[in-house]
Amino acid sequence: MERVSWRTQVLSKHLQQPPSQSPLSSNPCLSYSPPELSERFDFETKEMREILDAHNLQDRDWLFGLIKQSGLFNPRNAGGRVFVSPNYNQSMEQQREMTMKRIGYLLDRGVFRGWLTDRGPEAEMRKFAFHEVIGIYDHSLAVKLGVHFFLWGGAIQFFGTKRHHDKWLRDTESYAVKGCFAMSELGHGSNVRGIETVTTYDSNSGEFVINTPSESAQKYWIGGAANHATHTIVFSQLNINGKNQGVHAFIAQIRDDDGNVCPNIRLADCGHKIGLNGVDNGRIWFDNVRIPRENLLNSVADVSPDGQYLSAIKNPDQRFAAFLAPLTSGRVTIAVSAVYSSKVSLAIAIRYSLTRRAFSLTPNGPEVLLLDYPSHQRRLLPLLAKTYAMSFAANYLKMIYVKRTPETNKTLHVVSSAFKATLSWHNMRTLQECREACGGQGVKTENRIGHMKGEYDVQTTFEGDNNVLMQQVSKALIGEFVAAQKTKKPFKGLGLEHMNRASPEIPSHLTSSTLRNSQFQMDAFCLRERDLLKRFAAEVSQYQKQGESKEYSFILSYQLAEDLGRAFSEKAILQTFSDVEATLPAGSLKDVLGLLRSMYALVCMEEDAAFLRYGYLSPDNAAAVRKEVTKLCSELRPNALALVSSFGIPDAFLSPIAFNWIESNSWSLTQH
Amino acid sequence: MASSLAEEEQVLVEEKLYARTLVLNRPRQLNAFSFQMISRMLELFVAYEEDSNVKLVIVKGKGRAFCAGGDVAAVVRDLNQGNWKLGANFFRKEFTLNYLIATYSKPQVSILNGIVFGGGAGASIHGRFRVATENLVFAMPETALGLFPDVGASYFLSRLPGFFGEYLGLTGSRLDGAEMLACGLATHFVPSTRLSMLEEALCKVDSSDPVIISAIIDKYTQQPHLKDKSAFLRMDVIDKCFSRRTVEQILSALEEEATNKKDDWISSTIQTLKKASPMSLKISLRSIREGRLQGIGQCLVREYRMVSHVLRGEVSKDFAEGCRALLVDKDKNPKWEPSKLELISDSMVNQYFSKVDDEEWEELKLPARTNLPVSAIAKL
Repeated sequence: MERVSWRTQVLSKHLQQPPSQSPLSSNPCLSYSPPELSERFDFETKEMREILDAHNLQDRDWLFGLIKQSGLFNPRNAGGRVFVSPNYNQSMEQQREMTMKRIGYLLDRGVFRGWLTDRGPEAEMRKFAFHEVIGIYDHSLAVKLGVHFFLWGGAIQFFGTKRHHDKWLRDTESYAVKGCFAMSELGHGSNVRGIETVTTYDSNSGEFVINTPSESAQKYWIGGAANHATHTIVFSQLNINGKNQGVHAFIAQIRDDDGNVCPNIRLADCGHKIGLNGVDNGRIWFDNVRIPRENLLNSVADVSPDGQYLSAIKNPDQRFAAFLAPLTSGRVTIAVSAVYSSKVSLAIAIRYSLTRRAFSLTPNGPEVLLLDYPSHQRRLLPLLAKTYAMSFAANYLKMIYVKRTPETNKTLHVVSSAFKATLSWHNMRTLQECREACGGQGVKTENRIGHMKGEYDVQTTFEGDNNVLMQQVSKALIGEFVAAQKTKKPFKGLGLEHMNRASPEIPSHLTSSTLRNSQFQMDAFCLRERDLLKRFAAEVSQYQKQGESKEYSFILSYQLAEDLGRAFSEKAILQTFSDVEATLPAGSLKDVLGLLRSMYALVCMEEDAAFLRYGYLSPDNAAAVRKEVTKLCSELRPNALALVSSFGIPDAFLSPIAFNWIESNSWSLTQH
Repeated sequence: MASSLAEEEQVLVEEKLYARTLVLNRPRQLNAFSFQMISRMLELFVAYEEDSNVKLVIVKGKGRAFCAGGDVAAVVRDLNQGNWKLGANFFRKEFTLNYLIATYSKPQVSILNGIVFGGGAGASIHGRFRVATENLVFAMPETALGLFPDVGASYFLSRLPGFFGEYLGLTGSRLDGAEMLACGLATHFVPSTRLSMLEEALCKVDSSDPVIISAIIDKYTQQPHLKDKSAFLRMDVIDKCFSRRTVEQILSALEEEATNKKDDWISSTIQTLKKASPMSLKISLRSIREGRLQGIGQCLVREYRMVSHVLRGEVSKDFAEGCRALLVDKDKNPKWEPSKLELISDSMVNQYFSKVDDEEWEELKLPARTNLPVSAIAKL
């Protein structure tokens, strides 16, 4: 009691108001009020969620519920609410075991049914939806599943033929076998063609023999290899009769059913990481490991029993490309999950900014809500707009992935590379900004955002380094450019059709209404892309004229290549946004999306120095863009809560600071 | 005035110091809520919240029931006369009361000494304290009536351990006092012989502090014995089967369990599900699943949409049919339409969750709630 009255005194002095019965509840600075009570809802958040999540909403909610209802997912009570999130304070070994237990639970509940045995776009979209929900809970769990189903399972599906499908898919879906995917080596990551593992064929026994010829050839970062996996896909050079036929994929067993390491296999742990400690990344060495001839995944090439190499695709470059094309699914899931991670962090940071106050404008005046500061709006709302834009981009990417045909492979490769890099970079930036926007609370693991920085960082690296992927985008674009010049045919595909038209004109004086005009925005993005493409092509050809090789010329022109990659991505994302808008009837929902689209477009213009450097915008116009961004911030501010509520992430998957953070930090809760 | 007096008498009010006891007083109808009763309850709850002389609200029922639900028979009479909006109005009022109770700033103690069905649960479970006795019989029997668990049940059922809520909501299974305490629907178990002492003690309270009130009730509690055949002891099977994605999958999971070993409880569960309205099962499951991720307000708004569609009967008229078979003709043989789960498409189910296409229809508008204590805010 003494303590209470002492605190009351301190507080009343601090607040400089007469002591009342309950100073804590009467002062607006220190009481929590749910933002739902004061914020506006101009549109139906449910309808917005349908546009954002786009598919399998009920399936998603079912899985959210499945996770929330099980003690395995570490439910904790804080401030009268239940939150689910892994206990990251557990040791690495414990976290890995929990990941497997959670997989076992979801398996028993039928979550993975049909993940490999059902075919068609509908099944693929459902699988994506489930994987997204799981990723919202925990990135380790999603990655562990991704390795087993998308990489190991996907390799069998896409590189294998009927005999592999019949033998492995059902057992994979039921976890009778646990798969991993050994592609990266210590010495070779993104450059898969350079890997050193080598496989030969022994026609006497009808077996392949796999070897790790040097320490740099050890398989590295192999998810599942350290503890759980029983089988692996092995990427290896295939050497037939002394001739190297390039990289091929094989199936090898690394552990028996009891978890004992197989003969001639050596396994080691990659150790503790900055995140994803629920995934058991390991290293593998192969010492004359013998596998049956049938274990070559032979969709593009085979070896006959007597040791003849057979392939319908004669060109090793093309063979390699055909081989890797199906692996796009990894980049698709990374791009999509990056967006969901951004959504989680924004939902938490914006909810917090609508309940946390700091500083008064007048002495003794009420303190101001964080999100009522224009500077705070400027930090979070442009990221919110970008996350909306990228949400549509991710949906588009999923769509072209599930509807892929051999003809769309190039588009898929370029778009998935561009989006994987752009969206994962955006996510890292968003997480950092949201962490800072939550102040000290952002540092607490239970509040998710800070911790997620470590969990998601690797997205910029795995399944292709972001910088390498963006270079590939620029290379593909220059390829189109050179081909169009050579053949004198118009551009077709990759969104480059605008190159066939006259260069768009940017008005010399940009008004607010022009700046918010979607045609203007698209014109500005097209202008940037076309100009950068021409500059890039010119610079490469300049270097070539100076006697440099084509490859080295690309490397030397890296600055323009980076600028071009960014221009391509941002324009492609803007296009997906406009496409979504076009499907909607006039109304409050469309209006707010219009604001978000303008915010996205203008903030991209503001951030990319290329607009000023190459004069797409005059200094005056650039200033007008900057001013318009602040106006858009204040216009989006009233809808901030509705916009993050529309993400459809259940409360239990956010964190205590997103709700009553005073109650969840109360003394009484420390007592049990 | 005479008639309004009669209406008020359906809810008796006892005033003692800071406590107000509301007695549901329609014993011949097992205290089923009439429109007047609900209106009166709402009026009283609103008044007590503002009245600083009231610190505690006790709710109990006269006779062998706490409350057997909403007076569905009256709603169906209106319905059969082509007046679905009167029925909708009933639910609008009832759900508003449920919301007020769920977000109430003062503690409510409900004495559940008898039958608690449907609407009776809505008037008690959302409150702070629910005292069970050995006479308690609880059920959410709506799927057998062609309705779905409403009155905010998609909020409280979905928050029970594991998938017990799906089990209760879909099968309409009955729970006794011990089971209610075990699953968390009740907060205390007090033998009925001690109720008068408990009420007496509560009436002396001069505080709204839930810790104090809980401590008072604690003095009269007893640890009840959970019967051996309790469904709550079958949580492994319930979690395994009722966690499935669809009603069809739940049924086939149960059937799979039944083939593995003979088990009366499982076969009777299957039988109950097969007797219920297929449409009710579908919308109930989805309602509970959505409710799990929503606040109480969102749950009630959605349930109001659903119940409006049920009343309008544009997809299925099972509610009218269920009431006919169970309450009016009492032949216990409802002819459900659609008659099978397989005949129900996703778009038919979706319709129950959409806005009602009628100019006069309005969404449920819940009263603004401010200055609430934490426990009430958590339910928003």
